[in-house]
Amino acid sequence: MRNASDTSTPLRRGSSAVQALRGAGSGRLGPFAAILVVVAVLATWPLLAGNPYMLSAGVIVLNFAVFATAWNLMGGLTGYVSLGHIAFFGLGSYGTGLLVIHSEINAFVAVMAAAVVVGLLSLLVGWAALRVRGASFVIVTIAIVLVMLLVFQSWRSVTGGSTGLVVPRPFPDLLRPEHHRVFFYIFLGLLLLVLVSYLVVDRSRFGQALKAIREDEDKAQSLGIPTAMLKLAAFGISCFLTAIAGGVYALWFGDLDPIFQFDVVLSAQIALMALLGGVRYLFGPLVGAIVVGSALEYFLLNFGETQFHLVATGLLLVAVVLFAPDGVLALAAQLIRRLGPSATSIREESAAEVRAQQDARALAERVEEPGADATTDREDRR
Amino acid sequence: MVSGALLFQSLILGLLLGGLYALLAAGLTLYFGIMRVVMLAHAAFILLSAYVAWWFSSTTGLDPMISLVATIPLFFGIGYVMHRFLLARLRPTTMTMMSVLLTFGIALVIEGLLGLAWTGTQRRIHLPYGTSSVEFLGAQIPVVQIVSFALAALSLASLYLIMKRTQFGRSLRATIQHGQAAQLVGIDTTKVAGMGFGLGLATAAVGGAALSLQATIYPSLHWHWIGPLMAIIVVGGLGSIPGAAIAALALGTIRVLLEIPMGSTWAQTVFYVALFLTLMLRPQGFFGGRLAQRF
Repeated sequence: MRNASDTSTPLRRGSSAVQALRGAGSGRLGPFAAILVVVAVLATWPLLAGNPYMLSAGVIVLNFAVFATAWNLMGGLTGYVSLGHIAFFGLGSYGTGLLVIHSEINAFVAVMAAAVVVGLLSLLVGWAALRVRGASFVIVTIAIVLVMLLVFQSWRSVTGGSTGLVVPRPFPDLLRPEHHRVFFYIFLGLLLLVLVSYLVVDRSRFGQALKAIREDEDKAQSLGIPTAMLKLAAFGISCFLTAIAGGVYALWFGDLDPIFQFDVVLSAQIALMALLGGVRYLFGPLVGAIVVGSALEYFLLNFGETQFHLVATGLLLVAVVLFAPDGVLALAAQLIRRLGPSATSIREESAAEVRAQQDARALAERVEEPGADATTDREDRR
Repeated sequence: MVSGALLFQSLILGLLLGGLYALLAAGLTLYFGIMRVVMLAHAAFILLSAYVAWWFSSTTGLDPMISLVATIPLFFGIGYVMHRFLLARLRPTTMTMMSVLLTFGIALVIEGLLGLAWTGTQRRIHLPYGTSSVEFLGAQIPVVQIVSFALAALSLASLYLIMKRTQFGRSLRATIQHGQAAQLVGIDTTKVAGMGFGLGLATAAVGGAALSLQATIYPSLHWHWIGPLMAIIVVGGLGSIPGAAIAALALGTIRVLLEIPMGSTWAQTVFYVALFLTLMLRPQGFFGGRLAQRF
């Protein structure tokens, strides 16, 4: 995650390619057009996919992309890494499944109803989790996944426990390939919704405040930003969108098992996708989902259900955190900048950049003695 | 109606389990104090040590405790290296969040390697004294539980002595309290912090061997341990070792007592209920100092 004290990719105006990557092209409508172009390109996949398997893999990757982009609304904008989003995904899918089974309402109305309930529930969880900063938040988010796994496995009479819950299909007449094709476009529509939501939030005052929280929560608070409320709002929106993805997934896949619906490893994989692509970029989580999602499918196809994919995910996570915490899009932007025209002779440096350089020097000194984190100590005493 | 004898037995068993939890949570607290790191791989290392104990015991036929001769120094070394070459490289400003993902990755690698090396089959150590128990004031206490509690108590006592009485312990506490000031009086904080990390991981080695005596182990088991342990350190107040120990004893006892009416699966939720209640009533934990409020 980047913040003011990073210098690896200083923000600089002037390179349009870089801005396109950031999803902030020229004008107010540029990024919206970029979203449409990306979605249109993705829409060609069912034509290219040779067989139903490739089509279903496409659905899975799109599902990851929606999930990761929704996660990024919280994780990217506020810097609060949640490892518990899978709990809300799973609640959304179980809520939808139970509604479809036990009532007569339309399947997609059920998805929305479940997502609204889960969104409200997430506010309750977020209220507890966000009362303290950083570490406790992560701990609570992991705890919520573990407790949901426990509850859904034990509460057999309602959830079916480990035997699973079979959700009837919304389109019973469709053959399997057609079913995948329809859901591919439904997920694509969902991706459009999530990307636009992210962009709208990102550009609003609300989004600016969230980013202020990410950079320095103390200063944001002292400027009068109601940090607790905004963090909670971001968490609620993010969880609501995640629950929609979960509900649609339930309708598509049709079989729910607590082990997979509340899998903390998948939660980490979602965070990995966002981080790998770049949490500061509109399309970062999408790129990450395509890379990690395809890799996971590849592993599953070639090595089966072994422990190997755990090792691979773990190593990739460690590598990304250590070597590319800004994501591949940041690296690409750096490359484009290097190849593009050099900067003007008059150096334009914003106050933030000057500060970033100073911080980098301080950081370089501190790397020698990492035990001594003076800033955090100083903040403690405030 | 629950009989008095059953209640008494559960109370004893709960305290014994709580003692073990206290040792396991002490390591987590230590990492957090040193670097504000939430070490998600702690339970995975505990499991690794349990697997080594099982493997040692089943190939040589000796007591699994003897494996500690190798695992304690080994884990100390791993902890030192992990701190020096992985965690110390993270940017200080995003340390807490990135360290979570980093240690999550390490936990996955350990889980995956355990699965590759010894498959996903459930394993259990068979000991000559595995099923015997002693009677204490009418309560039947399994010997393995007493052994692992004794091991936990011994390690916690040594940890206390190391922290309070040795030069290294004083340096470590100084580093935790104020790194820069510690440097000014001539402490090599990098080295001390690395060794502190090693110390935390060494407690995982002991805890793993102690757990291997009484638990059936399989590669994904560490997820079931890390949740309760993290709940304990939040309830006790992040960074406070006595707080973690008291919370561990209390929650361990409550858990075992709740097993009588609720069954073992639902009794586990007590940790998460306690976690949520703590955050709502007293977010800094019940014994936490200034550290806990901010993190």
